[in-house]
Amino acid sequence: MKRFGLLAVIGMVGLMLMLASCGGEKPQPVDETPPVVVVDTTPTEPVEPPPPPPPPPKLKESQLQTVFFDFDKFNLRPDAKSSLDHNYALLNEFADAIIKIEGHCDERGTIEYNLSLGEKRARAVMEYLTGLGIDATRLSIISYGKERPLDPASNEAAWAKNRRGEFVIISQ
Amino acid sequence: MRKTLPLLILVTILLVAGNSFAQGDNVRNIFFDTIRTGDVKGTPIGVEGMKYIGNQYITYDDSLLMDYVSGTVQFDIDFHADLELIPLDSFYLKTYEIFEMDLLGWKRLGADLLVKLEAEFPSTKIRARWKLFDTIRRQQVARGVVEKHKSQWREIGHEIANEIVHTLTGEDGIFLTKIVYIKQIGSAKELFISDFDGAHARQVTDNGSINLSPVFSADGKRIYFTSYLEGDPQLYSVEVNSGEIKRVADFPGIIAAPAVSPDGNKIACTMTKDGNSEIYVIDLNGKVIKRLTWHRAIDTAPTWSPDGQMIAFSSDRSGAPQIYLMDSDGLNTRRLTYEGRYNDSPIWSNRGDRITFVSRTKRGRFDLASINTSGHDYRVLTEVGMNENPHFSPDGKHIIFSSTRRSPRDIYTMDITGRNQRRLTRFGNCSNPNWGPIVD
Repeated sequence: MKRFGLLAVIGMVGLMLMLASCGGEKPQPVDETPPVVVVDTTPTEPVEPPPPPPPPPKLKESQLQTVFFDFDKFNLRPDAKSSLDHNYALLNEFADAIIKIEGHCDERGTIEYNLSLGEKRARAVMEYLTGLGIDATRLSIISYGKERPLDPASNEAAWAKNRRGEFVIISQ
Repeated sequence: MRKTLPLLILVTILLVAGNSFAQGDNVRNIFFDTIRTGDVKGTPIGVEGMKYIGNQYITYDDSLLMDYVSGTVQFDIDFHADLELIPLDSFYLKTYEIFEMDLLGWKRLGADLLVKLEAEFPSTKIRARWKLFDTIRRQQVARGVVEKHKSQWREIGHEIANEIVHTLTGEDGIFLTKIVYIKQIGSAKELFISDFDGAHARQVTDNGSINLSPVFSADGKRIYFTSYLEGDPQLYSVEVNSGEIKRVADFPGIIAAPAVSPDGNKIACTMTKDGNSEIYVIDLNGKVIKRLTWHRAIDTAPTWSPDGQMIAFSSDRSGAPQIYLMDSDGLNTRRLTYEGRYNDSPIWSNRGDRITFVSRTKRGRFDLASINTSGHDYRVLTEVGMNENPHFSPDGKHIIFSSTRRSPRDIYTMDITGRNQRRLTRFGNCSNPNWGPIVD
């Protein structure tokens, strides 16, 4: 009961403070310094700031197509080549884009072998693009072996998705 | 007596396995002969529960400790490939209305040997005595004492088991060794270390990156591993006690599949610095000593022969991964496996006579298989799940590996014959084990 009384007092005080802060508008301090008149002596020509150049369109990672491989293979299938032709056009258009190609494998086979296989896949993708004329200094590769599956399931559909070469934009 | 007993056991095993004792070389084939001849087991041995021999009342906690110690000894003895733990049959006890087994009782249960365990509790310690009996001759053949703080009851049990194994076989026991494995935490893969039986697991790395292929240094103080810590998969080592990580080698591309040489001074590994996966030998400071392979195929997963003179590795130069052998200077390369379309991850047995590897078997999945170094006698050791990452125990009698048989992936052990497959971890996301050396 005593505690309740204390709470009530605190509540009342709080309420009063709130009311006080909302009430009565304080008079604004009056600025008494005279306005400075600036005389413009330059020939009058309406200076319009040039419209900011539209931001250059950026390449999005989602525009670059992932390429897929057969089990234990790193050669480029026809569908992979057409994906890479598509990516080549984009890389030509966005000439500042620096790209990392990631090679990935499905879960079958050993960690070490898949690490090597993933690199072969990434390298095959890179060599195809440099063959088309992309500057090799814009491209780098990394293999994740079977460590980063897109789909963790253990079936043909998941494995097919996981055997892939992915494009990551490092900078542009 | 101590010396004659191991001999006795050995002779028994050899006779049962159908070997002539005179052919000394056959000793190393005991284990594989046992598979061929059927279900030959190790020497049967009983381990009684620990008893208090002091003259005071003991606390409930102390009575639990005694159960823990005898449980540990029983697990270890059962684990050993050459020993067969005879479980104490409570049905037998009830039937004969006895509460304590004598040597004859154990003999009737089939035990040729019996271990009795006794405890005293001086201050905060356990003083554990073990006595080994021959139930046939009804004699005590060996005994010993281990004394440690109560919190170290596991170590007490393991040390007793080590002493018993040493008494019986003359070899050092593996029950105080460590293992390392990789556990997935979110998208990271971190190193964990534990006792050989999975107890005392603790995290060694905490870098949020992908860490792979851990292997112990020869002295067990460091672990070499591949990590994406700074981008590309490179070779690092971590000090087991401090957790301090050091970069071992720095070359463009991949550095993977490290294998420490038997003398502990070199590491064979796979690098892609020259544009393709090749096998190199580097020193412990990351300097290249020699490039061993020169093939445009994938060459990877090197393993040293126990004398350091040869290296086995996998290569897909035939169109699919197969196991090859070469001298440790890279000369005399020859193909070892022809069975099946996928053989990889070879490990060379401590005895030097066999190579165990991952094989895509007829059921279309990945199993562990074994072949002798002349390329004959291919045997499949597992038959469920996907089985990978084999490594030998330091005594060469066991294999540690990962399998998907009962969970997404966990660590298992088995005898080198494939018997006694046991699950070690139960987290469901563990792989890539390696077994540390026996250290004093």
